[in-house]
Amino acid sequence: MPFLDQIEAAIPGLRAYARALTRDREVADDLVQDTLEAALARQTQWRGDGPLRAWLVRILMNRFRDGLRRQRPAAAVLALVPDPADPPAARAAEGRLALAEVHAAMGRLPEDQRAALLLVALEGMSLAEAASVLGCAEGTLASRLARARATLRQMTGREAVPHRPGKAGE
Amino acid sequence: MMSGSPSIPVEEALRLRHGREADRVRLRSLAETDAGLADLVADWDRQDAAIRALYAPVAEEPLPERFRAAIKATRQAPAKGALPLWRIAASVALLALGFAAGWGGARFMQSPAEPTLAAAAMTSFATYSVETRHPVEVGAEDEAHLVQWLSKRLGTPFRPPDLSQGGFRLIGGRLLPGTTSPAALLMYEDDLGRRLALYLTRSDGAESDLAFAEEPGRQAFWWAEGNLGCALVGDLPRDTLRRLAIAAYHDLTEA
Repeated sequence: MPFLDQIEAAIPGLRAYARALTRDREVADDLVQDTLEAALARQTQWRGDGPLRAWLVRILMNRFRDGLRRQRPAAAVLALVPDPADPPAARAAEGRLALAEVHAAMGRLPEDQRAALLLVALEGMSLAEAASVLGCAEGTLASRLARARATLRQMTGREAVPHRPGKAGE
Repeated sequence: MMSGSPSIPVEEALRLRHGREADRVRLRSLAETDAGLADLVADWDRQDAAIRALYAPVAEEPLPERFRAAIKATRQAPAKGALPLWRIAASVALLALGFAAGWGGARFMQSPAEPTLAAAAMTSFATYSVETRHPVEVGAEDEAHLVQWLSKRLGTPFRPPDLSQGGFRLIGGRLLPGTTSPAALLMYEDDLGRRLALYLTRSDGAESDLAFAEEPGRQAFWWAEGNLGCALVGDLPRDTLRRLAIAAYHDLTEA
C-alpha cells in the first residue's frame, strides 16, 4: 500500500489512541495533526520494515512527551470527559466493569502507565512491541503494566491483589 | 471472591498474556489449576474490554478536514523516489475516508466478479457464529492440526491471520462445501464474546480489490489474492472491520 494511503488508513486508530491518552478531544486532535505532519515530512525515513502504525505511535509518543515537558508545571490537570452514553450501572450489573469508573481510573494513572496499558489493550500490541514503541526495556514495561492494572483493579472496586514484583521495579 | 495469590509473578503473567499465541495458551493452561491467576486474568480481560468499549469508537468519528488537507498537500507535492504500489490502495483510501455522506456509497464498489464469495461467507457467518456449543469443528487448541487439515482440503497452504490487534483470538475452524473447492471457515472471538469469521476458498487466480458488502446484521470485506478468495465477516464498526481485513490480507499474503 502506498505510504500516504497507509498513513491515511492509520489516522482513525491513531485518533482513538490519542484521545484515550490525553483525555481531551482538542489536545488529542492537535497531537494527531502534529504526528501526521512530522510523519509526512519524514516519509523518506520510513523504511517499510515494520508496522507503520508502530512508527506513527512512536512519533506521537515523542510529541506527547515533549508537550508534557513544556507545560509540566501547569499540566497534570487533564479534563475528564464524562463519556459513556448509556448508564454504567446497567453494564456493571452484567459483571462488566462500569465504563465511567474505568475512564476515571485511567485518568488517575501516570502518563507512562496509561500509555503502556493503551498500547496493549487498545492497540493490541504485544509487550515486546509496546516496549519498542516506548523505548524502554520489556521488564520496565511489564512492571508499568502491572502497576497500571493493579491500580485499575483497585479503583474499579475489585479487591486489590497484593502486587508481587518479579524483580525490583524500574 | 478472594481466591489467593497467583503462583507466578504478575509480570510473568502479563508477559504471557501479551505475548505470542503459544504464550497465551500456556497462560490459559496455568490458570486452569490456579484460581488466583484465573481471577486476575479474567479481571484483565474485563479491563481490556472496557478500554476498547470506551475509546475504540473514537475511530468511527468523522475525520476533521485538516487531517486530510495535510495528506492532500503532500500528495500533490510527492516526495522523490517511487513508492511501492499496492492494488488495494485505492479502495482502502476511499473506504478510510468514510464518505461524509455515509456508507451507502461503498456498496457499488462490490465488483460483480465474485459476489458469491461475500454472500457465501455471510451465510456461513450467520449460520455458525451464533452457535454456543459447536461454533467450530476443530478448536484453536489443535491449531497445527486445523491448519494442516484445512490447507490440504483447500489445496493451498495458509496460516490463520493474527487479529489480536482488535482483541480477537482464533477459536477454531471448520470445513464447508464451496463452489470451486471446499471452503474453510476460521472463527475468532473477543473478550466481549463478539465473533468474526474468515472465509477462505480457492480462487482461480483472478485478483480483486478489497470490497465491502453487507446484509442486515453482518458486513464483509472481501478480496482475492494469489489462489485464495477471502472474506472477513462480522458485525463490527466498519473501521474496525476494515482494519482487521487489512491485517488479515497482510498475514495471508506474507504467509
